[in-house]
Amino acid sequence: MAVDMEELKEKVLAFATKKAKFKSKMYIKDLYKADPDAKPRDIKKAANALVREEKLEFFSSGSTTMYGVPGFGKTEKEQFGGEE
Amino acid sequence: MADVKKHDTPMCDDLKSGPWPSFVDDIEQKGLAGKQECLDLLGQLELSYKHKETHWKHGGIVGVFGYGGGVIGRYSDVPQEYPSIAHFHTVRVNQPSSKFYTSDYLRKLCTIWDHRGSGMTNFHGSTGDMVLLGTKTDQLEPVFYDLTHQLGSDLGGSGSNLRTPSCCIGKARCEWGCIDTQAICYDLTQEYQDELHRPAFPYKFKFMVSGCPNDCVAAIARSCCSIIGTWRDDIRIDQEAVKAYVGGEIAPNGGAHSDRDWGSFDMQKEVIDLCPTKCMWMEGGELKIDNRECTRCMHCINVMPAALRPGVDTGATILVGAKAPILDGAQLSTLAIPFIKMEPPFDEFKEFVDKIWDWWMEEGKNRERFGELIQRQSLQELIRRADLKPIPQMVREPRSNPYVFWSAEEVEGGWERDVAEFRKRHAA
Repeated sequence: MAVDMEELKEKVLAFATKKAKFKSKMYIKDLYKADPDAKPRDIKKAANALVREEKLEFFSSGSTTMYGVPGFGKTEKEQFGGEE
Repeated sequence: MADVKKHDTPMCDDLKSGPWPSFVDDIEQKGLAGKQECLDLLGQLELSYKHKETHWKHGGIVGVFGYGGGVIGRYSDVPQEYPSIAHFHTVRVNQPSSKFYTSDYLRKLCTIWDHRGSGMTNFHGSTGDMVLLGTKTDQLEPVFYDLTHQLGSDLGGSGSNLRTPSCCIGKARCEWGCIDTQAICYDLTQEYQDELHRPAFPYKFKFMVSGCPNDCVAAIARSCCSIIGTWRDDIRIDQEAVKAYVGGEIAPNGGAHSDRDWGSFDMQKEVIDLCPTKCMWMEGGELKIDNRECTRCMHCINVMPAALRPGVDTGATILVGAKAPILDGAQLSTLAIPFIKMEPPFDEFKEFVDKIWDWWMEEGKNRERFGELIQRQSLQELIRRADLKPIPQMVREPRSNPYVFWSAEEVEGGWERDVAEFRKRHAA
């Protein structure tokens, strides 16, 4: 069955926004819980589409990448003292 | 002299006094030519030597739009003292297959980096990328624009992405290449663009392609999926050239070691006795090989390249799960597919990749390498999930694991048993 990507994106964004209040950075595996019936690859596509729409953002340590919701957690300036 | 400020760095300067060229010399030279970042870098390094702790902060929300990899954020935690390196992000650039580029390309790349970054580079990073060291957040998009528009280059992989696929020089310059390493590397790079630029996995995943079992990119030690060229027919033997090696007319090892007194070439001692499976012997003045026993160690071919060559029915061996020693020690990759033709469009290989990625994406823990998933869930589970046929070459020695886990489908009647019927024959 074809995946309704818009519906999946809404679920992922709602889940991430709810979770961001407690944990500002999430692994892709955390986002799988947004829709346990969805395939991991589809969750990945939905999450990355949300990043392109600037509703989610990447956080990379260099070795691992996590997802965040803009506005939650420390900003780059708060965290690193750099420019925003 | 450019208007730059050199810090007092006695400990760094001491490194210049050793017998070998020092990175301090290179960085200082670049700094004195006008790059304050280089001098600030040495200043901060001196501070780290003094404090015995790093002054870098690592990671962040930096990158170029739409990409989840290719840029590694780095910030100084003493930006007041060293303001030019307050931001010092790394940019990974996808290297051309086999690292073939022209001097014109390198000059342009260095010009871009002198203009937009510190001017310091690392050629090449351990995964093969061209690593550009040190730029500011506001320069990332311009650097990306210049790389893509002026050089036709793209960013490489970092984070939980597919890392930049890497390959040896292959058939371009090596007579032992059994597969077209550049074609495979380029095809995988194009096919998996989304996985390369956007995080897809629990952790990093690496493809490496070597043209022959000499494995010059060390795929078997470093990559989650090693593609290593091999052959399934017989080693080609030129008996006249064998005689020439024995007679001393051709130098062994392509003339290497000829500068020392190694004595004359002794084929029995230096080739036949060193064969790991003892599958070679001399008979009637001719070299014989029992090819069924050959494990493709390449030693005989390396020593006598004019006499011995890989077979002509060539393809690749696929191995999976190599990793560095963060968890449970380093491990080499495990044999998955003993022989695959590896011809474009590589569909059979990609079907295999899809299966192992599906398994890893479903079952892998956060920051768990693919090899660690195999260790945790067993080789048997890899075989099941990848639809592979179990073969003896997948294990180091027989019966190393005494447990055999049968699935319900493999047992007559499955796991359902009539307990009452059983108890008629066996008391409780």
